[in-house]
Amino acid sequence: MVKLALDSTFAALSDPTRRAILARLALGETSVTELAKPFAMSLPAVSKHLKVLERAGLIARGREAQWRPCRIEPRALKDIDDWLAHYRRFFDESFDRLDAYLQKLQAKEHTKERNNRGPKGKDRKDARNKQPRS
Amino acid sequence: MPAISSLDLDRDPRSIVGTREFDAPRALVFSAWTDAKHLAQWWGPNGFTTTTYTFDFRPGGIWRFVMHGPDGRDYQNLITFEQIVPPERIVYRHGGADDVEPVQFRQTVIFEDLGGRTRIIWRGDFPSAAERDRVIKEYGADKGLVQTMARLADYVATQA
Repeated sequence: MVKLALDSTFAALSDPTRRAILARLALGETSVTELAKPFAMSLPAVSKHLKVLERAGLIARGREAQWRPCRIEPRALKDIDDWLAHYRRFFDESFDRLDAYLQKLQAKEHTKERNNRGPKGKDRKDARNKQPRS
Repeated sequence: MPAISSLDLDRDPRSIVGTREFDAPRALVFSAWTDAKHLAQWWGPNGFTTTTYTFDFRPGGIWRFVMHGPDGRDYQNLITFEQIVPPERIVYRHGGADDVEPVQFRQTVIFEDLGGRTRIIWRGDFPSAAERDRVIKEYGADKGLVQTMARLADYVATQA
């Protein structure tokens, strides 16, 4: 389910420790023990973060019995990145269109005012829109 | 205003902020959001058109619509208005039904009067701590994990 995947990826990324873990893993795969070193956290606490990241599809862990190396899964990060780009584009382009629409509305308003104020409207269509001024 | 357009691990991706100025008075800019007829003229990226099924512009009201993409694909959408303060602010929640597009977020749109011109500040908030807890619960994480996460959330709150 795409929805849950993206939601859980966002949720997983909302935590600074997990982002730091991802940043470390971007340098290459490593063990849980190595990952735990820079954080003042127990191994089980780090393991729990890794579970969240794994469930969100952000990392994968090797199946070797003792040493289960963690590595980043670029796919989920890319999904989020794509989605953020899409989100950004949505507003950028919508607002371009809103800008044009507002200009159109204002131009119409000005024409209407001019026609109402002037002796007579040149444009029939605008003259039809003429409203009594209060 | 900080705004990210691609993922940056140093930043919390939970919220994205952007601004835009319009050469139009605030009341007019605000009114472009208050009516499905207006929204149909500008909502969506280039090449998209919008068909509205329901539009109820009041707190708690919904806007149910479909966006037709230039690729011929239809995107089902649901917006629930949470806060409306004319002509200053609109807060809505995007998503939240089974048959609509993925990812829920809360959008805040602020309209600033610049004297004949208007600045829009828009902010998207993505799944929050509450959403995160829901995800943990739904994925059947053990009790210990939930407690750890709760402690961690408290810790992060004290650091913020």
